[in-house]
Amino acid sequence: MSVQDALGQAYAHWNAGQADQAEMLCQRILAAWPGQSDAMHLLGLMAHAYGNLDMAISHLRQACRAPRAPAVYFSNLAEMCRQRGLLTEAEEAGRRAVAMNNTLAGAWNNLGIILQESGKLEESRQCLERVLGLQPDNAEAHNNLGNTCKRLGLLERAEQHWLRALALKPSYAEPHSNLSNLLNDQGEFDRAASHARQAIELSPQMADAYVNLAAVETARQRHGEALRWLDSLLTFAPQNAIGLASRALALKQLDRLDEALDTAQRAVAANPESGEAYNALGLVLQSLGRFEPALAATSKAASLPGTAQEKALVNRAVLYMEFGRTAEAAAAFEAALKAYPLSASAHFNAADLHSFTADDPRLPAMEALLAPEVTLSRNDRMLMHFAVAKAYMDIGHVDRAFHYLNEGNRQKRASFTYSADDTGRWMQQIAEVFSPALLERLGGHGATSTLPVFVLGMPRSGTTLVEQVLASHPSVQGAGELMHMQRLAERLGNFPHGFATLAPEQLAPLGQGYVDKVAPLAQGHRHVVDKMPANFLYAGVIRLALPGARIIHVKRDPVDTCLSCYSKLFTSEQAFSYDLVELGRFHRDYQTLMAHWRAVLPASHFMEVEYEAMVDDLETEARRMLDFLGLAWDPACLDFHKSRRAVRTASVNQVRRPLYRSSAGRWRNYADKLGPLLEALEVSAP
Amino acid sequence: MSMGMDLNTLDQQVRALLGQNQFAQAEALVRSFLPGGNGPPLVWRMLAQALRLQGRLAEAKSVQEMLVDHMPGDLPGRFDLAETLLLMGEFTRGWREYRFRYSLPHTTRIERKVQRPRWEGERMEGRTLLIHDEQGYGDTFQFIRLLPEAKRRSGARLVLEINHEQVDIARRSPLGVDQYITRGTLPPAFDVHCEMMSLPQALGLQLSDLPGPLPYLTPDPARLEKWRARLEGLPRPIVAMAWAGRPTHFNDANRSMTLADMAPLGMPGVSFVTIQKGPAAEQAKTPPPGMSLTHLSDEISDFDDTAAIFSLVDLLISVDSSPVHLAGALDRPAWVMLPFMPDWRWLMHRSDTPWYPRHRLFRQPSPGNWGAVVQDMAAALAALRDNR
Repeated sequence: MSVQDALGQAYAHWNAGQADQAEMLCQRILAAWPGQSDAMHLLGLMAHAYGNLDMAISHLRQACRAPRAPAVYFSNLAEMCRQRGLLTEAEEAGRRAVAMNNTLAGAWNNLGIILQESGKLEESRQCLERVLGLQPDNAEAHNNLGNTCKRLGLLERAEQHWLRALALKPSYAEPHSNLSNLLNDQGEFDRAASHARQAIELSPQMADAYVNLAAVETARQRHGEALRWLDSLLTFAPQNAIGLASRALALKQLDRLDEALDTAQRAVAANPESGEAYNALGLVLQSLGRFEPALAATSKAASLPGTAQEKALVNRAVLYMEFGRTAEAAAAFEAALKAYPLSASAHFNAADLHSFTADDPRLPAMEALLAPEVTLSRNDRMLMHFAVAKAYMDIGHVDRAFHYLNEGNRQKRASFTYSADDTGRWMQQIAEVFSPALLERLGGHGATSTLPVFVLGMPRSGTTLVEQVLASHPSVQGAGELMHMQRLAERLGNFPHGFATLAPEQLAPLGQGYVDKVAPLAQGHRHVVDKMPANFLYAGVIRLALPGARIIHVKRDPVDTCLSCYSKLFTSEQAFSYDLVELGRFHRDYQTLMAHWRAVLPASHFMEVEYEAMVDDLETEARRMLDFLGLAWDPACLDFHKSRRAVRTASVNQVRRPLYRSSAGRWRNYADKLGPLLEALEVSAP
Repeated sequence: MSMGMDLNTLDQQVRALLGQNQFAQAEALVRSFLPGGNGPPLVWRMLAQALRLQGRLAEAKSVQEMLVDHMPGDLPGRFDLAETLLLMGEFTRGWREYRFRYSLPHTTRIERKVQRPRWEGERMEGRTLLIHDEQGYGDTFQFIRLLPEAKRRSGARLVLEINHEQVDIARRSPLGVDQYITRGTLPPAFDVHCEMMSLPQALGLQLSDLPGPLPYLTPDPARLEKWRARLEGLPRPIVAMAWAGRPTHFNDANRSMTLADMAPLGMPGVSFVTIQKGPAAEQAKTPPPGMSLTHLSDEISDFDDTAAIFSLVDLLISVDSSPVHLAGALDRPAWVMLPFMPDWRWLMHRSDTPWYPRHRLFRQPSPGNWGAVVQDMAAALAALRDNR
């Protein structure tokens, strides 16, 4: 048999999946002709099919050394190098392939993906369009071109290419997963989840589809579901760095910070070149209050190429901001915007820190992003509306500010379902269940700790300020907004009804469960402040489970509070906050519930403080609160804005300034924009 | 949670109990690790196994479905579900999940990596479809019946690649195949391929489609003459017999027997001929007392001999092994001895099989109980003899 015949047979055997015969023929050829290029190439293809990527690359390199090696060998080498992350060698081989044969569609396709991964997006697009010129119905090329368009910000074109890929090849999993990612950004969560599920059904071990599905669940605040899908991914791909990074962030959302840290460290170990992994590590360390290592991880993420870089640059600035390093934060935002001038997330976060002036160059740049010819994802459009509204608010351009604010809120409100009636009924039931009779029946059975102090009320009512003032006292540690009380209360099922039939002996373990969670945060201080505003729903639980705990209710002018809520796009779900009527109704229901607590809770453990009074005379109010807690006066409480502790709420930038009176009665300037709110609150316009 | 036992220890203990057919005890132990219906996937998998081995398929299925819903990427879990579904006759999803049969730890390396697309049932006139067998002879005899339908549905030129032992008998039959090749030899150029056991999914095979036209294999006339002469003079009924499958089969311990186990079948007026191949054929040299046994194994050189014998004798009695399928393909009667938990193709709780209308299934009433199977069969055999 001639070498040519043997090669023909070897390739034919391999096409038919007859690996033994193909390999034997190759070995016979190589024995007669060491290093024979075509035989090496075939052995490389076979090694690749059996998952031996390094061996495959080594064979292909050798095959490409032959003087007559054809273009397709270079193209195959290029693709294998890409899979191995060897982008430089991949690009070189890919370019060589198309230079040798510019009608080889597969070679243009491979080069297109390589250039996409290297961030050379325009060139990538040209390559992939070239494939479609040669083969208009190539589903893979449509899918790849969709990815390149997405990264170029051409979202509609991306979607068209993915849909075309699916029309050509309905069983193709990748376009489903890619569409899921896009639709998630657009706030179309149900469709996004459905596409991700289809991708998984078609290709059950496609890691991206799991990550995208988890991202949908995260976006709709179902962190437990997100975690479930990531765990599902990690059962068969335990070293998937992006899966681990996403899992770390889901755990962080669930307040399981120790596990989050462990998972993020595993992500970094699994792939030390993954920006996603370092970014997740940075965010988890940030939540743990560990500024220096958080900064190191986030900076590393920002230095790595890839899709995580933009996020990391923004996170780095937010990290500085949270730790009160305002000047460094401003510089970091500058850097993020310089590298990613079209980043909505960078503009949005930077706007919060920045005081806009009438001739601010940043404002037209931000407004330009909302021009019709720019394709932003729906989520990014929403961010930009809130950011631009903030800027116009700063410069006193009320009409423009409310134009953007109303639109941003409308977009947010359209992304979820909420019933003000149900919420009102629920709060009424809470008051009914926690009746004087119940408090009497179950009183005195809780855990005895006096460690916890709860600061609660409406969001944006001054709870952050109160916490900062208290935490500036040497006996008090601030813990931020904790989910523990809500979780413990709901663990009994169907809150508040589970409490109606509660046995007294269940209370002490409940209270102890909370103390066990916060004791490590106290770091030896006499009190720990949990300033989760929504704990106003659980004040009765606190009273029963932790009879030694003190509760401080922060009150603020209702319209100012609601206006402040309406101006913010919260990171956690505040579903009542994106419609003026619903916001007003929520506030009324809150007022009613607080009136109930005021009537049934003892003054020794429940006090109220008014935000406006603190603004007028901080010292008097601070002394009242310290008296209430049984603490001696300490002047540090008046210098709360110098504290370097992290602040992680929507109020992050106000508390860094000395008290500003501008926020009291602020709403009167905008009264004509707030009609529906004033009506719902039953407040008359000035 | 039972205290003081980690999952590894639990796994070992459960395996030990299952190995001793102590299924209910295994189930109870596993359930103590699932307090309030919560526990790690590994424990749920053990529960499904314990339920399945007790024949509680609906319960096993719901556990396996829950595992697949939670971990769609756990492909061995999907294959477990496939086996349960097929055993329950739920073909649509069963065949779909059966595609993961090469995604198990011990099968990934043996998947044939054909470098052409897989046929999904589409028409492909003017092009070539390569269909190839997978492992056992029995699978090929059972599923080769789908070739005519694949031909009709695809309109393609059909190339069939199978074991050289089975090529001759297949070639003689009108299966719509345009070219036969033996396994490992070079096929002609082809466009699309399909594993033989992927044909059910490609064709959307349902229970109601079975058995299809019978017989779909035919014996060789020359061999018929040879064996007619050889069997002449043996008193009827003549019963061909095989008691052990291929010893390398993963489930052989569960399905195979010894000739001594068959002693109750020995009775006056019934002539047995052995067609047993492999190491178990040795046993035929010492037949149980009272059994009239003619040892044919050494004279059988290929499946054409076996096919001719089945066409001439009155009945085949066999464990779950390839001769059963050959007899079925020839539309000749067989009595099949099945373990309590049989292979999925025999379904559950029925003494007939939609695959082969002339077959009769004798199932273990409890795990490992071959004695009862042989007793039932002896009674049926006596009735067959007496009613001739």
